[in-house]
Formats: sequence, structure tokens, C-alpha cells
Amino acid sequence: MHPLAMNPTEHTVWLTAIIIGFVVVLAVAALLSVLIYYVKIIDRRVVAVRETLKAAETNTSSTVLIPQVADGVEAVLAEGLQHHLFLGRVLGKVKS
Amino acid sequence: MTLLVILSVVDILLLIAGLAFYLFWVGSLLTRVAGNLEECAELVWKIVSHAELIGPGVEHINQTGGVVAGALPLLYGMAEGIVAGVTPREPEPAVPLPAMPASGTRRSRLHEAVGFGRYGNTAWQSDPDQN
Repeated sequence: MHPLAMNPTEHTVWLTAIIIGFVVVLAVAALLSVLIYYVKIIDRRVVAVRETLKAAETNTSSTVLIPQVADGVEAVLAEGLQHHLFLGRVLGKVKS
Repeated sequence: MTLLVILSVVDILLLIAGLAFYLFWVGSLLTRVAGNLEECAELVWKIVSHAELIGPGVEHINQTGGVVAGALPLLYGMAEGIVAGVTPREPEPAVPLPAMPASGTRRSRLHEAVGFGRYGNTAWQSDPDQN
């Protein structure tokens, strides 16, 4: 008898294992295809989020003007105080 | 026997090649997603740094604007006092006049109401017998 000779039962088991292996390969390919499909969706959504964040960053880039506006309003207040002093002096002279 | 061995080797090679191909593909996609997410994180930090200026700045503007708004009535009150003080006034008469309506005296329309007058029946004016 040949040393690698198999009885029919062993042959059948090996053949079954090969068929199961092919099925497993096909299942792995299908699952990985689904994984790639979902990863592509994630990629598209991340690109959309990045574009939205770029627009938001452009919109909020003008907030550096807020401290300048605050300084301007402070200058208006200082000028108003000068007007108050001036009008107080003039009003005193007019009434006298 | 030989066929079974060949099929087994093909099966194993297919599994390894498929896994390698798909994992390389997924790896490249995930690398791109990671780059995009890193860029998103930088944008978020920029937005946070921009938004940090809003709160104190608006609070400062609100406080200063409130002081300005509160001082404006005082200013225009003083300005009105100055205007009233420098506007020349007519001297008051020695004998005070009776109170008169500012619109003047009003013309009576009683004649017109009974048919006489300017817009009423004026036939009597051209009738020689009436005169």
C-alpha cells in the first residue's frame, strides 16, 4: 500500500474541508467588501464634516474684530466723558 | 490525492491573497480618513480659539455700551439747558396781554351756514330788489 493512500472516508473529509475552506474564503471576501463599503461611507462623511468645519472656521475668523470693537466703544465712552465735561463748563457759563 | 493537495494549496493561497488585498485597501482608506480627521481636529481647535474671544469681548462691549447709554440722557439734558440759555427771548410787555389762542381768531361761518355769505346763497347780492 502506498504510504499516502487514503481510505474513502479520509478522502471525503479532506474534500469537505476544502469546500468549507472555499466557502470561508468567499464569506471573508463578502464581509471585507461590506467593511470597505462602510469605510468609504465614513470617508465621505468625514470629508463633509471637514468642509463644514472649514466654513465655520471662516465664519468665526472675524471674531478677532470683537476686541477692536470693544476698544472703539471704550473710546466712545471716553469721548462722551469729554463732552460731559465740556457741556458742564458751558452750561455753568450760560446759566451764570 | 494530488488534486486534493492542489486544491488545498489554492484554497490557502486564495484566503491569504484575499485577506492581503482587502486589508491593504481598508488600510489605505483608513489612512485617508485619519488624515481628514486630523485636519478636522485642527479646524475645531481653530474655531475654539476664535470663539474664546467672543465671550469677554461681548461682555466688555455690553458693559461699556450700558455706561454710554446711561450717560446720554445727562448729556442731552445739559445740551438742552445750554440751548434754552442762549436762545434770545422777546421781552415781556409791561402790561400782560389777555390770553389769545396761538392759531389766531377764527372767522365765523354762521352766515354761510344759513345760506348767506361767500359759499352760500348769494342771489340776494345780485337782486336789485333786495338791495
